[in-house]
Amino acid sequence: MSKQYLTLHTIDDAHPSDIFALAPTKNQVLSASGSSSIRIYSTTEADFPLAQMLEGTHKLGIHHLVTSKDGKRAASAGFEGSVKIWSVNEDGFWSQDGEISDQSKPGDIWAVALSADGNYLASSSINGKVNVWSLSKSEGMPKIREYETKGSFGLCVDLSPDGGFTASGHENGSIYIFNNDTGRLSHSVAGLVHPVRSVAFSPASKLLAAAGDARIIALYDVNSGEQVANLTGHGGWILSLDWSDTGEYLLSGSHDSKAKVWRIETRSCVATHSHGDRPLWAARWLPKATRSEMFALAGGNNAISFYREAAG
Amino acid sequence: MNEMKPPREEMLFELTPSQDALDNMRGRDSEDEELLDDSFDVELTPWTLRSSPLQSANSGREDPDSLRLDEPPDNKTGVGHPVQQPDNLSRSIRDRTWIIAHIEHILEKILHGSADEGDQLSITLRRRLCNNRGSIKSAQTSNTANSPKTYKISFPGNSVQEAWKFTVLVRILEIIHGTLVDNAVITKRDIYYRHPDLFVKQSVVDQYVDDLALTFGVSRPLLNVTAAAKGLVSGNFVIKKSDGTLVNGLSDNEGILIPKVLGGDRLNLSAIQAILVIEKEAAFQSVITSKYWSKMSASCVILTAKGYPDLASRVFLRLLAGHSPYIPMFILVDFDPDGIAIMSTYKHGSCRLAHESVTGQDTPTLSLPKLRWLGVHSHQISRIPVTECDTDGAVISKAQGFMSLTSRDRKRASRMLEWDVCAEDGVEPSWRRELQIMLMLNMKAEMQILEEVSGSLASWVNDELKGMQCLGIGSGEGVSRLCTADAL
Repeated sequence: MSKQYLTLHTIDDAHPSDIFALAPTKNQVLSASGSSSIRIYSTTEADFPLAQMLEGTHKLGIHHLVTSKDGKRAASAGFEGSVKIWSVNEDGFWSQDGEISDQSKPGDIWAVALSADGNYLASSSINGKVNVWSLSKSEGMPKIREYETKGSFGLCVDLSPDGGFTASGHENGSIYIFNNDTGRLSHSVAGLVHPVRSVAFSPASKLLAAAGDARIIALYDVNSGEQVANLTGHGGWILSLDWSDTGEYLLSGSHDSKAKVWRIETRSCVATHSHGDRPLWAARWLPKATRSEMFALAGGNNAISFYREAAG
Repeated sequence: MNEMKPPREEMLFELTPSQDALDNMRGRDSEDEELLDDSFDVELTPWTLRSSPLQSANSGREDPDSLRLDEPPDNKTGVGHPVQQPDNLSRSIRDRTWIIAHIEHILEKILHGSADEGDQLSITLRRRLCNNRGSIKSAQTSNTANSPKTYKISFPGNSVQEAWKFTVLVRILEIIHGTLVDNAVITKRDIYYRHPDLFVKQSVVDQYVDDLALTFGVSRPLLNVTAAAKGLVSGNFVIKKSDGTLVNGLSDNEGILIPKVLGGDRLNLSAIQAILVIEKEAAFQSVITSKYWSKMSASCVILTAKGYPDLASRVFLRLLAGHSPYIPMFILVDFDPDGIAIMSTYKHGSCRLAHESVTGQDTPTLSLPKLRWLGVHSHQISRIPVTECDTDGAVISKAQGFMSLTSRDRKRASRMLEWDVCAEDGVEPSWRRELQIMLMLNMKAEMQILEEVSGSLASWVNDELKGMQCLGIGSGEGVSRLCTADAL
């Protein structure tokens, strides 16, 4: 059974170059690209106007940008190697909260993920190390966990919504799940052989989805580490994964500019959308505010498109 | 170094080369001088140092024991001019005669100095440091490139190493002087083979020759030193040398060494519709040995400098571009940071040799601002199908031409993002984008990957050039033009 999603709006030239990341909150979507600025668009108005622009954030461009589930904090990672932490005030304006530099060598921090409450940040790195940082300003945002892996480039990382686990996906195809309470490796799961470019915990922290150049999406049981499903259908490298709020659907974006919506219950693809002919770097659900589900796609065509579930 | 100096020594350093020697040279070489002026004036106006921050830094502390190579013993007026006065330099004072006189002045000092015993001898040189290529600006905006650093070599010096450096430098000066006096041309390779045991390795010679040219404020060809030609070229062009001999671009199936084109030579490019630069020799060979080349060669010039381009290749390309600016010029490089850096050297020039390509009139001489990037772009390889096979990831990716970036590649790419040309508002937004995509995907690919797209590299090149309407239309109707190379 397929679902229908309609294009609601497209922001052309949302950025001057490839959009590498989208990070939604309840009423905004933050976006980052190869340019130095973070651009924040309002998602509550019909024409999705630019609400704020954080200029000159990372001079060499921004490769990762994430928000916490509560929508109060954001983290951006730039090609020059630094990570900046942002917070929003009641009026919806973002300002810088702090910075994690880790000696600022490019690649020391690559992918980043925020905990649901925005108090912790997980990061992957070029040498395979996975770190967790406390974002407590009074403590100076210290590193609190340091997980060693076998040294393959950590292309992606995620924190479980309940805060219990950190997962990382690596270039050599390996996937690790760490227990944040014990600070130990929980599972080294059967990987995908090819580079893993996205890992994402389900809202209930029960399942981990992982995907990448193997072009399949693997689902793992977080507690047992067992692979429980394979979702096949993408023709290109899979660059991003995102669970819907309820955990019923998974959204995936591919290098061949296709996005797919998967129904977890039936493990089937229920919708496919094309976003131009450039790599689709980011595919994100917007937090459910109205009755219908919405998601946003962005990538190499510099545009952000918003889709809405067809009524009825 | 002594802070105090006897007045006698000060005199010594004010000394100018004997007027007799100068007159001799002028008398003997006046015709050659004319010729040199003609051929070098336009293309190789001496580099003026006026905007170098070093000038002001140095003017405050003259080290009397140093031979300031960059301050000419002025043989025209008898009074030393500050180097930064462009008016006195824009006229090509720094010709062959000037350099000969200058070198003699230095050698004379050394002779006097060693006869006097006592104080150390020293030579001050400039060197361009290349740890940050960021300051290579587009040719229109820059005439400074990286600020050179001054360093000093003394004899006997503090170490055996320094004494050796001094010896090497004096020997190179001597060889260059001899070459200039004979009005011959020597390659860096030739210099090295004069004393391989003294110079130890080629790069020592290369470095000092470049430093000398920079210190004198002239381009290396003015020292009559050329790089040994390493580039290969093929295609339907003809050079008629001034002595009547012909160089035919298609005379060898494997390409010919980049020819040296002199002032009186005549270049015929009338059949050419596209010029293609290829980063690597293997790819160059694969194109010119293919069946496609037999057709393409009628209207195409293809060139490789085998990696980072040498001066000879760049001079030749610049000559083609200046001769026939309407012929589109393309470059094909690997999809990796070095590929883009190599393209940058062709297009915007090299940082260490910036003095070769900068003129006093803001006219780029060796840069190729119209050079177009034919490939490899990320979008050209993104559609390459990935075979379904989950046995051994490494082997699979290799067979398909994709490779992971090494940590060196990643560092290099990050550093290149800091270049001015790759900045957010820089002149090469596509370089910035492709570098970022390499980093995002952590992936690079050699140009051989294009064989996956259309069977062979040559057919891919053929298709791309046809797609850009550079080949196959109105062949033979190219504007027929024959002009002398020195008119460029």
